[in-house]
Parts: sequence; structure tokens; C-alpha cells
Amino acid sequence: MRALVVEDEPDLNRQLKAALAEAGFAVDVAFDGEEGYFLGDTEPYDIVVLDLGLPKMDGLRILEEWRRTSRTMPVIILTARDRWSDKVAGMDAGADDYLAKPFHMEELLARVRAQVRRAAGHASAEISCGSLTLDTRSARVTCGGEPVKLTSHEYRLLAYLMHHNDRVVSRTELVEHLYDQDFDRDSNTIEVFIGRLRKKVPADLIQTVRGLGYRMSDGGDPA
Amino acid sequence: MTVNSLAFRLFVTAVVWTAIVLPLAGFTINSLYERETQQAFDDRLKTFLYVILTESTARGGSVPDQPTNVGEALFELSESGWYWQIRPADGRGGDMLVSGSLANGRIPSPADTEATPDAEGIRWRNETGPNEQPIRVAEMLYRLGPKQDGPTYSFIVAGPLDWLDERASGFRTHLTTALAIAGLVLLAMTYFQVRFGLLPLQQIEQGLQAIRSGKTERLEGEFPTEIRPLQHELNALMQSNQEIIERARTQVGNLAHALKTPLAVITNEANDADGTFARKVVDQSRIMRDQVALYLDRARIAARAGSIGRVTDIEPVVDALHRALERIYRDRGVEVIVSVAPDCRFQGEKHDLEEMLGNLMDNACKWARKNVYLNAKSVGPGTHGEPPQVVISIEDDGPGLSAEQRSKLGRRGVRLDETKPGSGLGLSIVSELAASYRGQFRLEASDRGGLKAILTLPRPAESAELS
Repeated sequence: MRALVVEDEPDLNRQLKAALAEAGFAVDVAFDGEEGYFLGDTEPYDIVVLDLGLPKMDGLRILEEWRRTSRTMPVIILTARDRWSDKVAGMDAGADDYLAKPFHMEELLARVRAQVRRAAGHASAEISCGSLTLDTRSARVTCGGEPVKLTSHEYRLLAYLMHHNDRVVSRTELVEHLYDQDFDRDSNTIEVFIGRLRKKVPADLIQTVRGLGYRMSDGGDPA
Repeated sequence: MTVNSLAFRLFVTAVVWTAIVLPLAGFTINSLYERETQQAFDDRLKTFLYVILTESTARGGSVPDQPTNVGEALFELSESGWYWQIRPADGRGGDMLVSGSLANGRIPSPADTEATPDAEGIRWRNETGPNEQPIRVAEMLYRLGPKQDGPTYSFIVAGPLDWLDERASGFRTHLTTALAIAGLVLLAMTYFQVRFGLLPLQQIEQGLQAIRSGKTERLEGEFPTEIRPLQHELNALMQSNQEIIERARTQVGNLAHALKTPLAVITNEANDADGTFARKVVDQSRIMRDQVALYLDRARIAARAGSIGRVTDIEPVVDALHRALERIYRDRGVEVIVSVAPDCRFQGEKHDLEEMLGNLMDNACKWARKNVYLNAKSVGPGTHGEPPQVVISIEDDGPGLSAEQRSKLGRRGVRLDETKPGSGLGLSIVSELAASYRGQFRLEASDRGGLKAILTLPRPAESAELS
């Protein structure tokens, strides 16, 4: 999963990046409005944490521009403006959630996970595929009730596939959603990680759709 | 027209003034008329006296002749009140001549009394006539004949005083009627003058009512030159007031941003660290966060104090919050059912209404199982002086709270469930904001199972009450 943090305060930006990275996200950061807008406009993020009071371009304007050009990724507004008029303006501009500063990082992470889940069409915090279960709250994967040990890259890959289970996910999409913009992208590494994952989880859950990509499915007919 | 009003003062002054001046004028006019009538009457008697004197002494003898052409038929009508009498006045004897009207009656001679002659030698006196009728007597003593020792005769002419009284009384009646009508017309004119003169003040009153009820933000209209400076000053004052409030609000917003972001950084940093120092920082940061929130709220309320004439339509505010909250709580599948009576308006700032309703609706959505109900209706003004108000109730079908728990809520920083996100400041903000508008906020158990929050807030009066 890829997250974008647009926050001009360097310390808070760093904290958000660290917390999201620890929660299993590949995180890009922007320190001003223009940079944030550009990244959100060009990269496929699964979640954006957006401050409102930004230099160069206001957060609300960024959001409106994204929505105007049909950028539909979930956006959580994070701001010191905690009045309801600001919240309404934020939600009307197209935000999916709103969190006022100062905030608890745990609450932010909970909301981030909830938005990512909902965007992928899952109502519950636990996503299951066959005997495999992903608990998005704790970032843990169990297989038949037994915990599965995964590296952070493996977790990200599996989590993305499980969020989008029963759907063919191309290698390009995986690369775009698993690595931050500074990562040296090579789709071959995806195949390596898929291979590793198949050794840790029931191999038939991750199916290769030739020429298209991969699909996570509990064995039902893909049709 | 109320007693303590400019119109009443002006009107009463006019009434008092009229009540003094008109009778005084009446009295003066009446006195002048009486004097003039008396003078005219006397002049007439004098004329008759000269006519009789001339008629009876025309031949120049020592005995007066019977006057033949006095020119007034009433002298011949019996007891008409008009008489003449010629009689010797020096005791030497002689004939006495009288008018036909006097017949056998006699008129006492003023010369026999203390009456003194005027410049023309005429003595005047009021007497009682032959039939007990009051009469005015004019007498002239005249020596007849060419010689110095000719006989002296008393020439008397008398007229009825009733004639004089009747005219005076008739005049008084007409004068009183005329003055009474003039008084009434004067009062009516004064009334219209006062009303017309004070019309601009009434317009100001209506203008201020319109500002207070939020229909306009300025005192509009063309006023007379005396009032125009007041209009300009009032408008300038209101504009400056609004600017001060806006500036204060901006400052508060800036302060919020300036403080909250560093607080977020410190809290997050300390949360990640271990040890007593980190715990201390977390605890103190929480206190700082609450204090910042407390004083920002107070500053916002203070910035609003003194702003008048703000009126907010409730429905658009509810709709906007409804939209935002349904988006925020879409995962929970909570449905907000809104019922706002038409023309439901709040006399106060939109931001404050948003803050109160936002916190209450947010709270209800947080706890509701399926539904949140918002109901807003207008009440009052009552016959016993109850002000016009709007009552907004927000209830949920969630688990609800016991009476004891409800009494704890609303205190700053009190949270009954630490597992739900929030600062515990929401309900206390609602309570403080409602109180700042002299409104009320209370919590009850809802019939639907959950909590019912009831806000009673001021509503602008529909029509200005004018005195």
C-alpha cells in the first residue's frame, strides 16, 4: 500500500512517515502544497494524509483539484482547524475523513486502515481469503489461526493482494502500490516476492494469470 | 403612544400649551368685544341724546319742544326699554316731555346722584327701568333760551342693558365654540406633526430591528439631515465591530494552528519513547492540549460577544453537517433522519450553531446503532413574556446513559468511554456556547433507547414590535 503525507511541519511529517511505514505502507512525503498536489496527481496512492494549512497551495484547493480530475484515492484531512465549519468544508471538498490536531497516532492509523479497507470494498477490519486472514489493525497475517511470519515487503505485497482479492492485479500496479517513488522499481522483484509468499501461505491462493498478473483467490472459479 | 416617549412629551406639551393659551385668548377677545359693544351702545345713546336735544331746542325758545323725528320706533313702543325724557332740572317748574314707550314711568336723573359728567357733559348711569328692566341712562343738562338765566332741562335717553347682555352672551357662545374647534384642530395637527416629525426615528427603530433580526447588516434609508450623521456613525460602528470580530477570529485560528501542530509533534514523539520523562511529557501535553482548547473556545466566544443581528437559518447548517457526518460515519451505516420546521432560525453566529450541532450530531452518530434523529422547531413568543426560541433535539438509538452518567457529561474533559475517539470537550463546548446565547442545553434519556440532547436557543422575532 502506498501512502502520501502532505504536511509542512518537518517533525510531524517525519513522525507520520515513520508511523505509516511501520504500519506497512510505502510512504511518500511532501512539504508544501504544490509538491503534494503533483504527487497525488501523478502517483497511485492508496491513502493520502493531507494538512490544510500548507505553503504554496492550500490543502482544500489541492483536494478539490484532485477530485475535479477524478483522483478518487481516500484522503484524510489532518489539520489544526477543528471547527465544524472547517470539517464540513473539508468533507464537501471531497475528504473521506477529518482528524484535528493534536491527535493520537493510533487513531490516525486506525482511520487510515479503515479508509484503505473501504476503498477496496471491505467492511471488516479482518480480510480473509481461504484459510488466510489479514488483521489490518495489527498488521498480522494468520493461516488457519497460526501466525505467518513475513518481512515488511512480503506483508505489503500480501496485504495489497488480499485487499484486492478476486481481482487480477498487474505487476505494474503492484510495483506502483508497493514502493515509494524513490525506490528503484523492477517488476522482477515482484516475482521473487510472490515466490517467497507462496512458500509461506497456501500456494494455490496466489494464482498467476498469464500475461496479466496475479490474483488472490480461495480457489473458486476465476471465470 | 407610550408614556415615556418623545411623541408623548411633544403631544402633552402641545395639549398643556393649548389649554392655557386658548382660554386666555378667549377671555381677552371677549373682554375686548364687551368693551367695544358697550362703547357702541353708549355711542348710540349719545346719538339719540343729541338728536332729541337738537329736535327739542331747534326753535331756540326757553321751553323744549316735543321731538318729532328721533329715528327709532322703539321709543314709541310701550316699555320697549328705549326711552327718552325731558324735564326741568332747576326746580323752576315746567313741562316734562317723555317718549311714548315711557308712558307714565319716570327715569331717575343721574344728576341727582354722584355721577359726574364726561368731557361732553353727559352723565352715565345704570338704572332700573319702569318694568324693573335694567337700563343704561345718558343725561345731559341743557340751559334753554338765548339768555344766561334760561331754564335748565335734563335731557335723558335710556336703552335696555339686556340688549347688550344678549349680544355679549351670543358672542361668548360663538367664541367658545370657535375656540373649542380651533383647539381640537390644533391638537389633531399637533398629533400629525409629531408623528410626521418623528417618522425618521421610527424608521431608525425599524432599521435597528431589521439589523437585530438579521434581515440587513446596515441602517438603510434616506434620513433627514439631522439624523444622517447618526446613521453614518451607527453603520461605521457596526462595521468596525464586525471587523474587530473577524480579526479576533482570524487571530484565534492562527493561534490554534501555531500551537496545535507542535503539540501534535511533542505528543507523538513522547508516545514513541519510553521512561518517566516521556510519560510526563505525554501527561503535560494532554493538559496543554485541553488548556489550548479551553482558551481557544473562550476566545471564540469572547470574539463573538457584542456582535448583534446575526441570524442563521438552521436547515442549511443541519444539511451541511448531515452530509459531512454521513460521509465520516458511512462505515457504520448510521442514518441521520432530519426534521427541521420551516423558517426555523437561530439568532446567533452560524459558526456557533455549527459547533453546537456538529458536536451533538457527531456524538449521536458515534453511539447510534442505526439511526440519529434531529428535530428542530420554533416555540414562543408566549403570552407571559416568553421569548421566541428554537428547540433542537438530537437523539440516537444507541446504548444511552444512566442519569448519573448524564450528570457527569458536559463537564470539560469528562469522557465516559475512553475507547471512542474524542477529547471530552465537545459537550462542554455545546454547554458553554448555549449559555453564552442565554440558551439551554440538557441531556435526557431518549424514548428510542439512546441519549437525547436538547438545545434551546434564541430565535429572532418575526416582526419588529414598534411602540
